[in-house]
Amino acid sequence: MSQGIYLTDAPVRRPAPVGNPLLRKVQRACRLSLPEPDLALNLDVADYINEKQGPCPRDAVIAIVKLINSRDTHTAVFALALLDVLVKNCGYPLHLQISRKEFLNELVKRFPEHPPLRYSKVQRLVLTAIEEWYQTICKHAAYKDDLGFIRDMHRLLKYKGYVFPKINESDLSVLRPSDHLKSPSEIQKEQEVAQAAKLEELIRRGRPEDLREANKLMKVMAGFKQDNANEAKQTIANELNKLKRKADLLNEMLSSTDSPDLQDDTISSLYSNLKGAQPKFQKIIEEEHEDDNLVQDLLKFNDTVNQLLTKFDLLKAGDSTSASQIHPSNIATSPEPTTIGSSGGALAKEINLIDFDDDNETTSSSPAPAQTGSGDVVADLLGDLSDLSVSSNSNAQNFGLGGSIALGSSQATTEVSGSSNLDLLGGFSSSGNAAPASAALQGKANDFDLLGDFVRSSSAAPSNTTILVNESKNLKIEFDVTRESSSTIKVKTFFSNVSSASISDLEFLVAVPKSMTLRLQPQSGSFLGAFTNKAVTQEAYIDNAQANSPNPLKVKWKATYKINGKSIDETAIFILPKV
Amino acid sequence: MGNSVSRALGKLFGSREMKILMLGLDNAGKTTILYKLKLNKIKTSAPTVGFNVETVAYKNVKFNMWDVGGQERLRPLWRHYFPATTALIFVIDSHDKDRLDEAKEELYSIISEKEMENVVLLVWANKQDLKGALKPQEVSSYLQLGENLKNQLWCVVGSNALTGQGLVEGLSWISSNTHKK
Repeated sequence: MSQGIYLTDAPVRRPAPVGNPLLRKVQRACRLSLPEPDLALNLDVADYINEKQGPCPRDAVIAIVKLINSRDTHTAVFALALLDVLVKNCGYPLHLQISRKEFLNELVKRFPEHPPLRYSKVQRLVLTAIEEWYQTICKHAAYKDDLGFIRDMHRLLKYKGYVFPKINESDLSVLRPSDHLKSPSEIQKEQEVAQAAKLEELIRRGRPEDLREANKLMKVMAGFKQDNANEAKQTIANELNKLKRKADLLNEMLSSTDSPDLQDDTISSLYSNLKGAQPKFQKIIEEEHEDDNLVQDLLKFNDTVNQLLTKFDLLKAGDSTSASQIHPSNIATSPEPTTIGSSGGALAKEINLIDFDDDNETTSSSPAPAQTGSGDVVADLLGDLSDLSVSSNSNAQNFGLGGSIALGSSQATTEVSGSSNLDLLGGFSSSGNAAPASAALQGKANDFDLLGDFVRSSSAAPSNTTILVNESKNLKIEFDVTRESSSTIKVKTFFSNVSSASISDLEFLVAVPKSMTLRLQPQSGSFLGAFTNKAVTQEAYIDNAQANSPNPLKVKWKATYKINGKSIDETAIFILPKV
Repeated sequence: MGNSVSRALGKLFGSREMKILMLGLDNAGKTTILYKLKLNKIKTSAPTVGFNVETVAYKNVKFNMWDVGGQERLRPLWRHYFPATTALIFVIDSHDKDRLDEAKEELYSIISEKEMENVVLLVWANKQDLKGALKPQEVSSYLQLGENLKNQLWCVVGSNALTGQGLVEGLSWISSNTHKK
């Protein structure tokens, strides 16, 4: 064999051309002649996979992991860059593939049993990728249960002594779930793609348990499309509620001062969120035009959003006078429910309390004792009760331990459930604008009036003498309500036995709306002799009950006791008089 | 390990394994055929919601037969079963003349898929025992496979799932026409 450079008859060595366009694309994205990973080529692969689906995600991933393990660092780095782009752009079908055991084993094929002193570049990148997946899709994705092997691999590597690099927060946020409003067809499309990918993977694996699951999945995909539709509706409702909260928040922030800081991160992210959601409204309305309520709701909400956006734009243009004109007429304290409409109303309700039944009949003329009420009323109330946080403190030894159970946030008016909103709220409260929050609720004042009337007309006189809460044929319960401070109410409860038998094992539970905190002191006793008056007392403090709150404070209570050897439950909702 | 050994041995002795996809309209008799082949028994089955898989050995060939439900709402899911298919068996109810058109449409929509361009196609003109059922030749000319399929091997065989007539012939046609790979 002669050495040197010369041309032969043999063709120049090139990577063998592959028939499959996908593999060709993958090779092109990782070829040696590129100076650095080419995002356009990588995205081209992602688009191709998204379009073709079927076996594409799997084929791509297999090809890529082969390249990652190639001896050439350059190619491996490119392949990892491509994989990263695919993971971020191809969604569930690709996530399912990278969570396959075979893939993960292949990915770490070149990792020695014991970690080396210095990681090679490829090793470092692989560790970064796994850590990134572990922190994002394994934790947040809706289908994280399917990704268990990534977790296992992460654990295994850690156990072997590998150290994972720290991941940039910005890299993580890409893979976190985004809460965008989607139209029903989009949600269903997404579901279908995910389910199809899963079905194909299960068929491919072909083990008996996989086939069983595939059969089940097929039934879901074919037989119960309705299920999917319902789920889509639910998702939309959730997203809409989040958006409404955001709209509310933005409104408050814009109205709080004359010249709000428009560069503020929170404000601008709220603004872009709302703006981005707007085109979807129309789409949803088109698709769900049979659902009248939803359409009405959306239209009204859309108006509100429009006003908010206009206002923002005006403020941005420096036209604060016109901006402030929008404010009073449309959003703040308009007494008619028409202008702020369902957005304000729905929101206020949302923020309001726990979900008590809103009709006054159920919250009811001095509460119906359990044993006299009809069966389903009881079930209803108990059902409601189980939703609540109930503070129980019947025994003295409980003292100081579990007296109060605090749930929910500390802001009475801004009750938030979605965690994604928390940071926004944080931003909000730190800007120190607590005042407008209650102002926004003044629109509900008329609502309160009704309830106020109701309270007066039903037994309870709003004074701080004792008021009758409930009297059954055995037990009489009275409250003595006094205000301790601007935010704390003290409720002293008296128990009287009105029967000729003695009551034992008396236990009294109270629940308050989630925005408030209940501190329940121990009962003075649990035994009531026959015809004893106010023999047992109990004190409770309700924190965060604002004096000027327009909404009546409702509490739910439940008393259980034994009389004549029988256990009896009594429960109802009670509206505390204003103090 | 044992698996790979047996596979290597299988290669030596010419035994093969192939994935066969059995499709067709609902009530064509796919599931009945499958269990007739597998168990040699007539299993009355409710309409298949989902799919059945059985391995049927014939001579030295192992057929992994996938029988996927044929109800309308299941048909869009058929394509998920396409990958790695060696042969497609399309079962037709020869007695149900009203739905022949529908069956033909479905058949063409399957074999026009890219993933299916290399499969061999066997059509079972099933329910030959019923009076007034179309003969295999009639089904064949109705489907016009000769005119429309250029590169694919195809064959129409009359069958009767109850007696097993035509089933073995069909499988042996498949095994003798998929030799190359």
